[in-house]
Amino acid sequence: MCLAAAGWDRPEGRRESAGGDVAEDRFTGDTDNVAELSSAAVLLEATGRGSRIAFRRLYELESPRLYGIALRIVRRPEIAADVLQDAFVQVWQNAGRFVRAQGAAEAWLTGIVRFRALDAVRKVRREILSDDPALGDESTEPDVLEKIGADGDAAALRECMRALEEPQRHCVALAFVDGLSHSEIAARLEKPLGTVKSLVRRALMALRKCLGP
Amino acid sequence: MIPADPEELNALAGEYVLGTLDARVAREVEAALSHDAALREAVLFWENRLHPLSRLSRPASPPPGVWDAIDARIRPPTGHARFLRWWDNPVPWRWASASLAAVAAALIVVVALPRHQANFAAVLSSPAQEHTTGFIASGSGDTWTLRAVAGVTPPPGRAFEAWLIAPHDPRPRPLGVVPHDGALHLAKLDASSGSTLAISIEPPGGSPTGLPTGPVVYAGAVTQM
Repeated sequence: MCLAAAGWDRPEGRRESAGGDVAEDRFTGDTDNVAELSSAAVLLEATGRGSRIAFRRLYELESPRLYGIALRIVRRPEIAADVLQDAFVQVWQNAGRFVRAQGAAEAWLTGIVRFRALDAVRKVRREILSDDPALGDESTEPDVLEKIGADGDAAALRECMRALEEPQRHCVALAFVDGLSHSEIAARLEKPLGTVKSLVRRALMALRKCLGP
Repeated sequence: MIPADPEELNALAGEYVLGTLDARVAREVEAALSHDAALREAVLFWENRLHPLSRLSRPASPPPGVWDAIDARIRPPTGHARFLRWWDNPVPWRWASASLAAVAAALIVVVALPRHQANFAAVLSSPAQEHTTGFIASGSGDTWTLRAVAGVTPPPGRAFEAWLIAPHDPRPRPLGVVPHDGALHLAKLDASSGSTLAISIEPPGGSPTGLPTGPVVYAGAVTQM
């Protein structure tokens, strides 16, 4: 089903128009293609055209995953809730810039949430927790490779992560998933800061080569 | 400085996406993204390729109030409440003056407030809700108190932040987040006649930018009593 027929399309620009409220949102959710309603890319594109209904649906679809990512990084529910809120406001404002050809909508959304979360956590840790190297309760799981999954893009990453030395893999996961800085990783792994920096860098070089092109 | 060497560029982009760059370098990268296509491409590469790692985080249900807060922030601006750079809009200052009339009505309240002999006062009213009074401010010398009217509270998970706009400086100056009891006491505030006091809705710790980021919900002109 084409997007216009599904009612996603709006002829006019969006926030410039005085309305932009639900009454003008021509998408009603009345589509026979359920897959479209479950596609973050379709919903994000419709959001970019000003559909609040699509945006709401996008929130319903993606917020548990994105909240989980934020919570893992900031550790505190009230901060994670703020991160999620700010991130979705940013999604609403920037959805028009999403280009499907440049990557998955899920990755685009994750990028926004992670940067918001990292920003928040750096502030909090500087202020309150800078002396607490054991931040967080769970070390990165031993089954990192299992959890990455083996479908589509994940398979390539899994194989390339598998090819890394264990400390390199650990550094990448602690940085990406837990949002730890170099020095926080160093404290966690009880390694010198310089060692951690070079582990991260060598991991990235190896991944770049392995993931190509 | 963004490196031209592809390997260095890739390493920088990779660390940017991982989140391990220090804040200064990360800001440099962010600024360069708008005009450096190679850097943008490298960042996209890492964002897309590392994305499956995010599956290590367990999904969780966000608190129930989050959607409502988002929804409130993306509504098209109504009335005079603007989300951004509202202070550039002359209209709020017109209604700020309009609320002067309300000052007279509030005088009774102000003089009844204990401890202060108010030399200055302001009634902060809502442009969106037919000028409903939200805050009353009174000051004597440098000492000021902004007090929320009974029943006036910020939306769940947000805070009120107070701002001063001096007559000849259109940029709002942050005065602080209003505590839960609704009374903000200021030991030092140079708010003379012609200044405007305003209240915006912000994250719990106050605006992260030093300027209002949420809608201005109450404002009023300072008047000498």
